[in-house]
Amino acid sequence: MKLRISANSLISAGLAIVSIFMVAPLLIMIFTSLKGDTELANAAGSLLPKNWKFENYILAMQTGQWGTYFKNSIIVTVFAVGGSLIFNSLSGYTFARVSFKFRNIIFVALLLGLMVPPQVTILTQFIMLKSVPLFGGNDIFGHGGQGWLDSYYALIIPELSGSLGIFLARQYYLGFPKDMDEAASIDGSGIFRSFWKIYLPLSGPLLATLGILKTVHVWNDFFHPLVYTNSEAMRTIQLGLQVFHGQYEIKFNLLMAASVVVSLPLCIAFFFFQRHFVQSLISTSVKG
Amino acid sequence: MAIRWNRLLPYLMIFPNVAIYFVFIFIPVLWAIYLSFTNYTILSPGQWVGLANFESLLKDGIFHKAFWNTMIFWVLKVMPTMMIGLIVATLLNAKIRGVAWFRGAIYLPGVLSSVAVSMAWLWLLDPRSGPVNAIVKLLGIPPQNWLQDLALAMPAVIVISIWTNIGFAMIIYLAGLQGIPSHLYEAASIDGATGLKKFIYITVPMLKPITFFLFITLTIRSFQVFDIVYILTGGGPLNSTTTIVNQIVKTAFEEYKMGYASAQAIVLLLLTIIVTIVNYRVGSKRTMD
Repeated sequence: MKLRISANSLISAGLAIVSIFMVAPLLIMIFTSLKGDTELANAAGSLLPKNWKFENYILAMQTGQWGTYFKNSIIVTVFAVGGSLIFNSLSGYTFARVSFKFRNIIFVALLLGLMVPPQVTILTQFIMLKSVPLFGGNDIFGHGGQGWLDSYYALIIPELSGSLGIFLARQYYLGFPKDMDEAASIDGSGIFRSFWKIYLPLSGPLLATLGILKTVHVWNDFFHPLVYTNSEAMRTIQLGLQVFHGQYEIKFNLLMAASVVVSLPLCIAFFFFQRHFVQSLISTSVKG
Repeated sequence: MAIRWNRLLPYLMIFPNVAIYFVFIFIPVLWAIYLSFTNYTILSPGQWVGLANFESLLKDGIFHKAFWNTMIFWVLKVMPTMMIGLIVATLLNAKIRGVAWFRGAIYLPGVLSSVAVSMAWLWLLDPRSGPVNAIVKLLGIPPQNWLQDLALAMPAVIVISIWTNIGFAMIIYLAGLQGIPSHLYEAASIDGATGLKKFIYITVPMLKPITFFLFITLTIRSFQVFDIVYILTGGGPLNSTTTIVNQIVKTAFEEYKMGYASAQAIVLLLLTIIVTIVNYRVGSKRTMD
Protein backbone atom coordinates (compact mmCIF):
# COMPACT_ATOMS: atom_id res chain seq x y z
CA MET A 1 0.00 0.00 0.00
CA LYS A 2 2.76 2.39 0.96
CA LEU A 3 4.69 1.62 -2.21
CA ARG A 4 1.65 2.30 -4.33
CA ILE A 5 1.10 5.76 -2.92
CA SER A 6 4.68 6.77 -3.57
CA ALA A 7 4.51 5.44 -7.15
CA ASN A 8 1.47 7.60 -7.81
CA SER A 9 3.06 10.68 -6.32
CA LEU A 10 6.14 10.06 -8.46
CA ILE A 11 3.90 9.98 -11.52
CA SER A 12 2.18 13.18 -10.45
CA ALA A 13 5.54 14.84 -9.92
CA GLY A 14 6.71 13.76 -13.35
CA LEU A 15 3.56 15.11 -14.96
CA ALA A 16 3.88 18.34 -13.02
CA ILE A 17 7.40 18.87 -14.38
CA VAL A 18 6.29 18.26 -17.96
CA SER A 19 3.28 20.54 -17.45
CA ILE A 20 5.55 23.32 -16.20
CA PHE A 21 7.72 23.02 -19.31
CA MET A 22 4.65 23.23 -21.51
CA VAL A 23 2.92 26.09 -19.70
CA ALA A 24 5.89 28.21 -18.58
CA PRO A 25 6.43 29.87 -21.98
CA LEU A 26 2.74 30.83 -21.99
CA LEU A 27 2.90 32.23 -18.47
CA ILE A 28 6.02 34.21 -19.35
CA MET A 29 4.11 35.51 -22.35
CA ILE A 30 1.34 36.77 -20.05
CA PHE A 31 3.72 38.26 -17.44
CA THR A 32 5.78 39.96 -20.14
CA SER A 33 2.64 41.51 -21.59
CA LEU A 34 2.11 43.31 -18.26
CA LYS A 35 5.61 44.72 -17.82
CA GLY A 36 6.65 48.32 -18.40
CA ASP A 37 9.20 49.28 -21.07
CA THR A 38 12.15 49.86 -18.71
CA GLU A 39 11.49 46.70 -16.72
CA LEU A 40 11.34 44.75 -19.97
CA ALA A 41 14.80 45.87 -21.09
CA ASN A 42 16.33 44.58 -17.87
CA ALA A 43 17.36 41.00 -18.66
CA ALA A 44 17.93 40.06 -15.01
CA GLY A 45 14.43 41.26 -14.10
CA SER A 46 12.06 39.12 -12.14
CA LEU A 47 9.50 36.77 -13.63
CA LEU A 48 6.51 38.70 -12.30
CA PRO A 49 6.03 42.34 -13.28
CA LYS A 50 6.77 44.89 -10.56
CA ASN A 51 4.05 47.21 -11.79
CA TRP A 52 1.20 45.44 -13.52
CA LYS A 53 0.61 47.56 -16.60
CA PHE A 54 -2.80 46.49 -17.84
CA GLU A 55 -2.83 49.54 -20.10
CA ASN A 56 -0.38 47.62 -22.32
CA TYR A 57 -3.39 45.77 -23.66
CA ILE A 58 -5.06 49.00 -24.69
CA LEU A 59 -1.82 50.29 -26.24
CA ALA A 60 -1.36 46.99 -28.11
CA MET A 61 -4.88 47.13 -29.53
CA GLN A 62 -4.23 50.70 -30.66
CA THR A 63 -1.16 49.59 -32.64
CA GLY A 64 -2.70 48.68 -35.99
CA GLN A 65 -6.37 48.22 -36.85
CA TRP A 66 -7.27 45.47 -34.40
CA GLY A 67 -11.00 46.06 -34.72
CA THR A 68 -10.69 45.33 -38.44
CA TYR A 69 -8.43 42.30 -37.91
CA PHE A 70 -10.87 40.74 -35.45
CA LYS A 71 -13.86 41.52 -37.65
CA ASN A 72 -12.09 39.83 -40.59
CA SER A 73 -11.09 36.74 -38.62
CA ILE A 74 -14.57 36.35 -37.17
CA ILE A 75 -16.31 36.75 -40.53
CA VAL A 76 -13.96 34.30 -42.26
CA THR A 77 -14.18 31.73 -39.46
CA VAL A 78 -17.97 31.90 -39.11
CA PHE A 79 -18.65 31.51 -42.83
CA ALA A 80 -15.94 28.92 -43.49
CA VAL A 81 -16.98 26.78 -40.51
CA GLY A 82 -20.73 27.18 -41.06
CA GLY A 83 -20.53 26.51 -44.78
CA SER A 84 -18.19 23.55 -44.50
CA LEU A 85 -20.35 21.96 -41.78
CA ILE A 86 -23.43 22.11 -44.02
CA PHE A 87 -21.62 20.90 -47.14
CA ASN A 88 -19.59 18.18 -45.42
CA SER A 89 -22.47 16.67 -43.46
CA LEU A 90 -24.72 16.78 -46.52
CA SER A 91 -22.26 15.02 -48.81
CA GLY A 92 -21.01 12.67 -46.08
CA TYR A 93 -24.60 11.53 -45.53
CA THR A 94 -25.18 11.13 -49.27
CA PHE A 95 -22.04 9.02 -49.74
CA ALA A 96 -22.91 6.87 -46.73
CA ARG A 97 -26.67 6.29 -47.04
CA VAL A 98 -27.68 6.82 -50.68
CA SER A 99 -26.58 4.65 -53.57
CA PHE A 100 -26.09 6.35 -56.91
CA LYS A 101 -24.02 5.82 -60.01
CA PHE A 102 -20.27 6.62 -59.80
CA ARG A 103 -20.58 6.99 -56.02
CA ASN A 104 -17.37 5.12 -55.21
CA ILE A 105 -15.33 6.67 -58.00
CA ILE A 106 -16.30 10.19 -56.93
CA PHE A 107 -15.58 9.38 -53.30
CA VAL A 108 -12.14 7.95 -54.04
CA ALA A 109 -11.37 11.01 -56.19
CA LEU A 110 -12.28 13.20 -53.23
CA LEU A 111 -10.05 11.15 -50.91
CA LEU A 112 -7.04 11.75 -53.16
CA GLY A 113 -7.19 15.30 -51.81
CA LEU A 114 -5.89 13.99 -48.48
CA MET A 115 -2.53 13.52 -50.19
CA VAL A 116 -2.25 17.04 -51.56
CA PRO A 117 -0.34 19.57 -49.45
CA PRO A 118 -2.01 23.01 -49.39
CA GLN A 119 1.38 24.47 -50.30
CA VAL A 120 1.11 22.79 -53.70
CA THR A 121 -2.38 24.02 -54.55
CA ILE A 122 -1.82 27.55 -53.26
CA LEU A 123 0.25 28.53 -56.32
CA THR A 124 -2.40 27.89 -58.93
CA GLN A 125 -5.24 28.78 -56.55
CA PHE A 126 -3.59 32.18 -56.38
CA ILE A 127 -3.60 32.52 -60.17
CA MET A 128 -7.23 31.35 -60.35
CA LEU A 129 -8.42 33.72 -57.61
CA LYS A 130 -6.59 36.56 -59.31
CA SER A 131 -8.37 35.78 -62.58
CA VAL A 132 -12.01 35.59 -61.43
CA PRO A 133 -13.83 37.65 -64.08
CA LEU A 134 -15.67 40.87 -63.23
CA PHE A 135 -14.36 41.03 -59.67
CA GLY A 136 -11.75 43.31 -58.12
CA GLY A 137 -11.33 45.36 -61.29
CA ASN A 138 -11.09 42.38 -63.65
CA ASP A 139 -12.67 42.44 -67.08
CA ILE A 140 -14.84 39.60 -68.38
CA PHE A 141 -11.70 37.61 -69.28
CA GLY A 142 -10.27 37.93 -65.80
CA HIS A 143 -7.57 40.43 -66.70
CA GLY A 144 -6.58 43.79 -65.33
CA GLY A 145 -7.46 43.56 -61.64
CA GLN A 146 -6.92 41.32 -58.65
CA GLY A 147 -10.10 39.22 -58.87
CA TRP A 148 -11.00 37.58 -55.57
CA LEU A 149 -7.55 38.19 -54.08
CA ASP A 150 -7.59 40.45 -51.04
CA SER A 151 -11.28 39.70 -50.41
CA TYR A 152 -13.31 37.46 -48.10
CA TYR A 153 -14.05 35.15 -51.04
CA ALA A 154 -10.39 34.08 -51.24
CA LEU A 155 -10.28 33.21 -47.55
CA ILE A 156 -13.69 31.51 -47.30
CA ILE A 157 -14.61 29.70 -50.51
CA PRO A 158 -11.59 27.34 -50.83
CA GLU A 159 -12.16 26.31 -47.18
CA LEU A 160 -15.74 25.14 -47.79
CA SER A 161 -14.76 21.68 -48.99
CA GLY A 162 -12.10 19.47 -47.44
CA SER A 163 -11.44 15.77 -47.95
CA LEU A 164 -10.98 15.02 -44.25
CA GLY A 165 -14.35 16.56 -43.38
CA ILE A 166 -16.19 14.57 -46.04
CA PHE A 167 -14.41 11.39 -44.96
CA LEU A 168 -15.23 11.86 -41.26
CA ALA A 169 -18.86 12.73 -42.06
CA ARG A 170 -19.31 9.63 -44.24
CA GLN A 171 -17.69 7.51 -41.54
CA TYR A 172 -20.12 8.91 -38.99
CA TYR A 173 -23.27 8.28 -41.04
CA LEU A 174 -22.14 4.74 -41.90
CA GLY A 175 -22.48 4.02 -38.19
CA PHE A 176 -26.30 4.17 -38.15
CA PRO A 177 -28.33 0.93 -38.50
CA LYS A 178 -29.73 0.06 -41.90
CA ASP A 179 -33.40 0.00 -40.76
CA MET A 180 -33.31 3.74 -40.21
CA ASP A 181 -33.46 4.41 -43.95
CA GLU A 182 -36.15 1.78 -44.45
CA ALA A 183 -38.30 3.32 -41.76
CA ALA A 184 -37.81 6.68 -43.39
CA SER A 185 -38.68 5.50 -46.90
CA ILE A 186 -41.89 3.73 -45.73
CA ASP A 187 -42.69 7.04 -44.22
CA GLY A 188 -42.43 8.47 -47.72
CA SER A 189 -39.54 10.78 -46.88
CA GLY A 190 -37.19 11.77 -49.64
CA ILE A 191 -33.48 11.39 -49.02
CA PHE A 192 -33.04 15.07 -48.36
CA ARG A 193 -35.98 15.10 -45.97
CA SER A 194 -34.65 12.15 -44.02
CA PHE A 195 -31.24 13.83 -43.81
CA TRP A 196 -32.84 17.00 -42.53
CA LYS A 197 -35.45 15.44 -40.21
CA ILE A 198 -33.72 12.29 -38.95
CA TYR A 199 -29.94 12.35 -39.42
CA LEU A 200 -29.05 16.00 -38.88
CA PRO A 201 -30.65 16.14 -35.42
CA LEU A 202 -28.49 13.12 -34.50
CA SER A 203 -25.29 14.70 -35.82
CA GLY A 204 -24.20 16.62 -32.72
CA PRO A 205 -20.93 14.72 -32.11
CA LEU A 206 -19.99 14.90 -35.81
CA LEU A 207 -20.68 18.63 -36.04
CA ALA A 208 -18.70 19.24 -32.84
CA THR A 209 -15.69 17.36 -34.20
CA LEU A 210 -15.75 18.96 -37.65
CA GLY A 211 -16.53 22.38 -36.20
CA ILE A 212 -13.59 22.29 -33.79
CA LEU A 213 -11.13 21.04 -36.43
CA LYS A 214 -12.21 23.73 -38.91
CA THR A 215 -12.41 26.56 -36.38
CA VAL A 216 -8.90 25.90 -35.08
CA HIS A 217 -7.60 25.60 -38.63
CA VAL A 218 -9.18 28.79 -39.97
CA TRP A 219 -8.75 30.97 -36.88
CA ASN A 220 -5.08 30.03 -36.60
CA ASP A 221 -4.33 30.07 -40.33
CA PHE A 222 -1.39 32.25 -41.27
CA PHE A 223 -0.37 30.82 -44.62
CA HIS A 224 -3.44 31.57 -46.75
CA PRO A 225 -4.13 35.12 -45.50
CA LEU A 226 -0.41 35.87 -45.96
CA VAL A 227 -0.52 34.90 -49.62
CA TYR A 228 -4.06 35.99 -50.54
CA THR A 229 -4.35 39.39 -48.89
CA ASN A 230 -2.23 42.51 -49.07
CA SER A 231 -4.31 45.44 -47.81
CA GLU A 232 -4.58 46.57 -44.21
CA ALA A 233 -8.36 46.27 -44.46
CA MET A 234 -8.24 42.52 -45.19
CA ARG A 235 -5.71 41.45 -42.57
CA THR A 236 -6.71 38.69 -40.17
CA ILE A 237 -5.55 38.61 -36.55
CA GLN A 238 -2.69 36.21 -37.29
CA LEU A 239 -1.31 38.66 -39.85
CA GLY A 240 -2.06 41.49 -37.44
CA LEU A 241 0.62 40.22 -35.05
CA GLN A 242 3.14 41.03 -37.77
CA VAL A 243 2.45 44.73 -37.14
CA PHE A 244 4.75 44.58 -34.10
CA HIS A 245 7.22 42.22 -35.68
CA GLY A 246 7.78 44.50 -38.67
CA GLN A 247 8.86 47.44 -36.54
CA TYR A 248 12.51 48.34 -36.24
CA GLU A 249 12.54 47.69 -32.52
CA ILE A 250 9.96 45.16 -31.37
CA LYS A 251 7.93 46.28 -28.36
CA PHE A 252 7.74 42.84 -26.83
CA ASN A 253 5.33 43.74 -24.03
CA LEU A 254 2.79 44.95 -26.59
CA LEU A 255 3.49 42.03 -28.93
CA MET A 256 2.91 39.57 -26.07
CA ALA A 257 -0.29 41.39 -25.09
CA ALA A 258 -1.64 41.13 -28.63
CA SER A 259 -0.57 37.46 -28.83
CA VAL A 260 -2.50 36.75 -25.62
CA VAL A 261 -5.61 38.48 -26.99
CA VAL A 262 -5.37 36.55 -30.27
CA SER A 263 -4.94 33.21 -28.47
CA LEU A 264 -7.54 33.76 -25.78
CA PRO A 265 -10.73 32.77 -27.66
CA LEU A 266 -9.49 29.26 -28.52
CA CYS A 267 -7.86 28.80 -25.10
CA ILE A 268 -11.17 29.58 -23.41
CA ALA A 269 -13.03 27.30 -25.81
CA PHE A 270 -10.48 24.57 -25.10
CA PHE A 271 -10.91 25.06 -21.35
CA PHE A 272 -14.67 24.58 -21.55
CA PHE A 273 -14.82 21.89 -24.25
CA GLN A 274 -11.62 19.97 -23.55
CA ARG A 275 -13.38 16.62 -24.02
CA HIS A 276 -14.64 17.63 -27.47
CA PHE A 277 -11.25 19.00 -28.54
CA VAL A 278 -9.62 15.73 -27.53
CA GLN A 279 -12.31 13.74 -29.34
CA SER A 280 -11.85 15.75 -32.54
CA LEU A 281 -8.09 15.06 -32.51
CA ILE A 282 -8.62 11.35 -31.89
CA SER A 283 -11.18 11.11 -34.70
CA THR A 284 -8.52 12.10 -37.23
CA SER A 285 -6.52 9.01 -36.29
CA VAL A 286 -9.32 6.55 -37.06
CA LYS A 287 -8.69 6.86 -40.78
CA GLY A 288 -5.40 4.90 -40.60
CA MET B 1 -40.64 13.25 -63.73
CA ALA B 2 -40.56 12.44 -60.04
CA ILE B 3 -38.27 9.48 -60.65
CA ARG B 4 -35.82 11.55 -62.61
CA TRP B 5 -35.69 14.15 -59.82
CA ASN B 6 -34.94 11.40 -57.28
CA ARG B 7 -32.05 10.20 -59.41
CA LEU B 8 -30.64 13.67 -59.70
CA LEU B 9 -30.97 14.57 -56.03
CA PRO B 10 -27.90 12.69 -54.69
CA TYR B 11 -25.69 14.49 -57.20
CA LEU B 12 -27.17 17.83 -56.18
CA MET B 13 -26.46 17.03 -52.54
CA ILE B 14 -22.77 16.31 -53.11
CA PHE B 15 -22.43 19.07 -55.71
CA PRO B 16 -21.21 21.96 -53.48
CA ASN B 17 -18.41 19.90 -51.98
CA VAL B 18 -17.41 18.19 -55.19
CA ALA B 19 -17.44 21.46 -57.16
CA ILE B 20 -15.26 23.31 -54.65
CA TYR B 21 -12.92 20.34 -54.37
CA PHE B 22 -12.68 20.12 -58.13
CA VAL B 23 -12.00 23.84 -58.62
CA PHE B 24 -9.70 24.46 -55.65
CA ILE B 25 -7.78 21.20 -55.26
CA PHE B 26 -8.11 18.92 -58.27
CA ILE B 27 -7.54 21.48 -61.04
CA PRO B 28 -4.82 23.39 -59.12
CA VAL B 29 -2.77 20.20 -58.71
CA LEU B 30 -2.96 19.28 -62.38
CA TRP B 31 -2.27 22.88 -63.32
CA ALA B 32 0.75 23.04 -61.00
CA ILE B 33 2.11 19.90 -62.64
CA TYR B 34 1.67 21.57 -66.03
CA LEU B 35 3.23 24.85 -64.86
CA SER B 36 6.29 23.00 -63.61
CA PHE B 37 7.15 22.39 -67.27
CA THR B 38 6.82 26.08 -68.20
CA ASN B 39 8.56 29.34 -67.35
CA TYR B 40 5.27 31.00 -66.40
CA THR B 41 5.51 34.15 -64.28
CA ILE B 42 2.61 36.18 -62.93
CA LEU B 43 3.53 38.88 -65.42
CA SER B 44 3.96 36.79 -68.57
CA PRO B 45 2.09 33.74 -69.91
CA GLY B 46 5.29 31.73 -70.27
CA GLN B 47 6.33 28.91 -72.56
CA TRP B 48 6.84 25.16 -72.41
CA VAL B 49 10.40 24.53 -71.28
CA GLY B 50 10.29 20.77 -70.78
CA LEU B 51 12.41 19.57 -67.89
CA ALA B 52 14.43 22.77 -67.62
CA ASN B 53 12.93 23.70 -64.22
CA PHE B 54 13.82 20.31 -62.79
CA GLU B 55 17.33 20.53 -64.22
CA SER B 56 17.70 23.92 -62.53
CA LEU B 57 16.48 22.39 -59.26
CA LEU B 58 19.27 19.82 -59.41
CA LYS B 59 21.82 22.65 -59.65
CA ASP B 60 20.10 25.06 -57.26
CA GLY B 61 22.28 25.23 -54.15
CA ILE B 62 19.67 27.02 -52.04
CA PHE B 63 16.99 24.47 -52.91
CA HIS B 64 19.37 21.65 -51.97
CA LYS B 65 19.95 23.40 -48.68
CA ALA B 66 16.18 23.76 -48.20
CA PHE B 67 15.60 20.10 -49.02
CA TRP B 68 18.19 18.82 -46.57
CA ASN B 69 17.10 21.30 -43.90
CA THR B 70 13.58 19.90 -44.24
CA MET B 71 14.91 16.36 -43.87
CA ILE B 72 16.98 17.27 -40.81
CA PHE B 73 13.96 19.00 -39.32
CA TRP B 74 11.87 15.88 -39.97
CA VAL B 75 14.33 13.37 -38.51
CA LEU B 76 15.14 15.40 -35.41
CA LYS B 77 11.57 16.43 -34.72
CA VAL B 78 9.45 13.32 -35.21
CA MET B 79 11.24 10.82 -32.94
CA PRO B 80 11.53 13.02 -29.82
CA THR B 81 7.94 14.22 -30.24
CA MET B 82 6.63 10.67 -30.33
CA MET B 83 8.81 9.40 -27.50
CA ILE B 84 7.93 12.24 -25.14
CA GLY B 85 4.29 11.92 -26.19
CA LEU B 86 4.28 8.21 -25.36
CA ILE B 87 5.98 8.67 -21.98
CA VAL B 88 3.60 11.44 -20.96
CA ALA B 89 0.57 9.46 -22.14
CA THR B 90 1.73 6.43 -20.14
CA LEU B 91 2.02 8.57 -17.01
CA LEU B 92 -1.41 10.07 -17.65
CA ASN B 93 -2.92 6.63 -18.08
CA ALA B 94 -2.10 5.77 -14.46
CA LYS B 95 -5.11 6.27 -12.27
CA ILE B 96 -4.07 9.48 -10.58
CA ARG B 97 -5.90 12.63 -9.60
CA GLY B 98 -6.16 15.66 -11.83
CA VAL B 99 -5.60 13.84 -15.14
CA ALA B 100 -7.76 16.35 -17.03
CA TRP B 101 -5.71 19.25 -15.65
CA PHE B 102 -2.39 17.72 -16.63
CA ARG B 103 -3.74 16.74 -20.03
CA GLY B 104 -5.11 20.25 -20.59
CA ALA B 105 -1.88 21.94 -19.54
CA ILE B 106 0.27 19.70 -21.73
CA TYR B 107 -1.96 20.13 -24.77
CA LEU B 108 -2.39 23.91 -24.34
CA PRO B 109 0.48 24.95 -26.69
CA GLY B 110 -1.31 22.94 -29.39
CA VAL B 111 -4.31 25.28 -29.26
CA LEU B 112 -2.18 28.33 -30.01
CA SER B 113 -1.59 29.48 -33.55
CA SER B 114 1.85 28.96 -35.02
CA VAL B 115 2.15 32.76 -35.12
CA ALA B 116 1.44 33.19 -31.40
CA VAL B 117 3.85 30.35 -30.60
CA SER B 118 6.53 31.97 -32.73
CA MET B 119 6.00 35.38 -31.13
CA ALA B 120 6.28 33.88 -27.63
CA TRP B 121 9.57 32.20 -28.53
CA LEU B 122 10.86 35.28 -30.28
CA TRP B 123 10.73 36.95 -26.88
CA LEU B 124 11.99 33.92 -24.91
CA LEU B 125 15.02 33.67 -27.20
CA ASP B 126 15.61 37.41 -27.56
CA PRO B 127 19.40 37.91 -27.47
CA ARG B 128 19.38 41.09 -25.36
CA SER B 129 16.77 40.61 -22.65
CA GLY B 130 15.09 37.26 -23.33
CA PRO B 131 14.40 34.88 -20.41
CA VAL B 132 16.28 31.95 -21.96
CA ASN B 133 19.54 33.89 -21.99
CA ALA B 134 18.87 34.89 -18.37
CA ILE B 135 18.56 31.21 -17.43
CA VAL B 136 21.58 30.28 -19.49
CA LYS B 137 23.58 32.96 -17.68
CA LEU B 138 22.80 31.33 -14.33
CA LEU B 139 24.48 28.19 -15.69
CA GLY B 140 27.56 30.23 -16.55
CA ILE B 141 27.06 30.19 -20.32
CA PRO B 142 27.40 33.50 -22.19
CA PRO B 143 24.23 34.85 -23.85
CA GLN B 144 23.52 33.44 -27.31
CA ASN B 145 21.89 34.94 -30.37
CA TRP B 146 19.78 31.78 -30.73
CA LEU B 147 17.87 32.52 -33.91
CA GLN B 148 20.70 34.27 -35.76
CA ASP B 149 23.42 31.73 -35.04
CA LEU B 150 24.37 29.29 -37.80
CA ALA B 151 24.73 26.39 -35.39
CA LEU B 152 21.82 27.20 -33.07
CA ALA B 153 19.00 28.46 -35.28
CA MET B 154 17.86 25.10 -36.65
CA PRO B 155 18.01 23.28 -33.29
CA ALA B 156 15.99 26.13 -31.76
CA VAL B 157 13.30 25.87 -34.45
CA ILE B 158 13.17 22.09 -33.98
CA VAL B 159 12.79 22.32 -30.19
CA ILE B 160 9.96 24.85 -30.58
CA SER B 161 8.21 22.58 -33.05
CA ILE B 162 8.57 19.58 -30.71
CA TRP B 163 7.14 21.69 -27.89
CA THR B 164 4.01 22.48 -29.91
CA ASN B 165 3.45 18.89 -31.09
CA ILE B 166 3.98 16.92 -27.86
CA GLY B 167 0.37 17.52 -26.82
CA PHE B 168 -0.97 16.07 -30.05
CA ALA B 169 1.18 12.94 -29.76
CA MET B 170 0.20 12.59 -26.11
CA ILE B 171 -3.54 12.72 -26.82
CA ILE B 172 -3.38 10.21 -29.66
CA TYR B 173 -1.23 7.83 -27.59
CA LEU B 174 -3.51 8.22 -24.58
CA ALA B 175 -6.50 7.16 -26.70
CA GLY B 176 -4.49 4.17 -27.88
CA LEU B 177 -3.50 3.18 -24.34
CA GLN B 178 -7.10 3.33 -23.19
CA GLY B 179 -8.05 1.00 -26.02
CA ILE B 180 -5.74 -1.80 -24.83
CA PRO B 181 -7.88 -4.45 -23.10
CA SER B 182 -6.97 -4.63 -19.40
CA HIS B 183 -7.17 -8.44 -19.30
CA LEU B 184 -3.87 -8.54 -21.21
CA TYR B 185 -2.15 -6.78 -18.32
CA GLU B 186 -3.95 -8.91 -15.75
CA ALA B 187 -2.83 -12.09 -17.48
CA ALA B 188 0.74 -10.79 -17.58
CA SER B 189 0.61 -9.92 -13.89
CA ILE B 190 -0.48 -13.45 -13.07
CA ASP B 191 2.54 -14.66 -15.01
CA GLY B 192 4.66 -12.41 -12.82
CA ALA B 193 5.57 -9.72 -15.37
CA THR B 194 6.80 -6.40 -13.97
CA GLY B 195 5.77 -2.92 -15.10
CA LEU B 196 8.60 -2.42 -17.56
CA LYS B 197 8.13 -5.88 -19.10
CA LYS B 198 4.42 -5.25 -19.52
CA PHE B 199 5.25 -1.97 -21.23
CA ILE B 200 7.67 -3.61 -23.68
CA TYR B 201 5.71 -6.78 -24.41
CA ILE B 202 2.12 -5.53 -24.30
CA THR B 203 1.91 -1.74 -24.55
CA VAL B 204 4.41 -1.09 -27.31
CA PRO B 205 3.17 -3.86 -29.69
CA MET B 206 -0.48 -2.96 -29.09
CA LEU B 207 0.26 0.68 -29.92
CA LYS B 208 1.88 -0.14 -33.25
CA PRO B 209 -0.98 1.17 -35.44
CA ILE B 210 -1.18 4.39 -33.40
CA THR B 211 2.59 4.85 -33.56
CA PHE B 212 2.43 4.39 -37.29
CA PHE B 213 -0.38 6.92 -37.69
CA LEU B 214 1.54 9.48 -35.63
CA PHE B 215 4.70 8.86 -37.58
CA ILE B 216 2.95 9.44 -40.91
CA THR B 217 1.05 12.52 -39.71
CA LEU B 218 4.06 14.17 -38.11
CA THR B 219 6.18 13.32 -41.15
CA ILE B 220 3.78 15.04 -43.53
CA ARG B 221 3.53 18.04 -41.20
CA SER B 222 7.34 18.24 -41.05
CA PHE B 223 7.62 18.28 -44.83
CA GLN B 224 5.19 21.21 -44.87
CA VAL B 225 6.84 23.31 -42.15
CA PHE B 226 6.69 27.01 -42.97
CA ASP B 227 5.01 29.40 -40.49
CA ILE B 228 7.44 29.15 -37.59
CA VAL B 229 10.50 29.32 -39.83
CA TYR B 230 9.09 32.28 -41.75
CA ILE B 231 8.42 34.24 -38.56
CA LEU B 232 11.35 33.19 -36.36
CA THR B 233 14.26 33.26 -38.79
CA GLY B 234 12.92 34.04 -42.26
CA GLY B 235 14.98 31.04 -43.39
CA GLY B 236 18.24 32.60 -42.21
CA PRO B 237 20.96 33.00 -41.17
CA LEU B 238 22.53 32.23 -44.56
CA ASN B 239 19.64 29.89 -45.45
CA SER B 240 20.51 27.61 -42.54
CA THR B 241 16.83 27.18 -41.61
CA THR B 242 15.11 27.63 -44.96
CA THR B 243 12.75 24.80 -45.92
CA ILE B 244 11.13 23.51 -49.08
CA VAL B 245 7.94 25.50 -48.49
CA ASN B 246 9.93 28.63 -47.66
CA GLN B 247 11.60 28.35 -51.04
CA ILE B 248 8.28 27.71 -52.80
CA VAL B 249 6.73 30.84 -51.27
CA LYS B 250 9.80 32.95 -51.95
CA THR B 251 10.12 31.82 -55.57
CA ALA B 252 6.40 32.22 -56.29
CA PHE B 253 5.41 35.35 -54.42
CA GLU B 254 8.63 37.35 -54.13
CA GLU B 255 10.34 36.46 -57.40
CA TYR B 256 7.07 35.69 -59.28
CA LYS B 257 8.62 32.62 -60.94
CA MET B 258 5.50 30.47 -60.86
CA GLY B 259 6.85 27.77 -63.17
CA TYR B 260 9.97 27.22 -61.09
CA ALA B 261 7.99 27.38 -57.85
CA SER B 262 5.62 24.74 -59.24
CA ALA B 263 8.55 22.45 -59.90
CA GLN B 264 9.58 22.85 -56.24
CA ALA B 265 5.99 22.18 -55.19
CA ILE B 266 6.01 18.98 -57.23
CA VAL B 267 8.99 17.78 -55.16
CA LEU B 268 6.89 18.35 -52.03
CA LEU B 269 3.92 16.58 -53.62
CA LEU B 270 6.08 13.56 -54.54
CA LEU B 271 7.49 13.34 -51.01
CA THR B 272 3.95 13.35 -49.60
CA ILE B 273 2.72 10.76 -52.10
CA ILE B 274 5.63 8.45 -51.25
CA VAL B 275 4.77 8.66 -47.55
CA THR B 276 1.09 8.04 -48.28
CA ILE B 277 1.88 4.98 -50.39
CA VAL B 278 4.09 3.60 -47.63
CA ASN B 279 1.23 4.27 -45.23
CA TYR B 280 -1.24 2.44 -47.48
CA ARG B 281 1.11 -0.52 -48.08
CA VAL B 282 1.92 -1.04 -44.44
CA GLY B 283 -1.70 -0.44 -43.48
CA SER B 284 -3.06 -3.10 -45.85
CA LYS B 285 -0.33 -5.53 -44.80
CA ARG B 286 -1.43 -5.06 -41.23
CA THR B 287 -5.06 -5.89 -41.95
CA MET B 288 -3.94 -9.06 -43.76
CA ASP B 289 -1.88 -10.28 -40.81
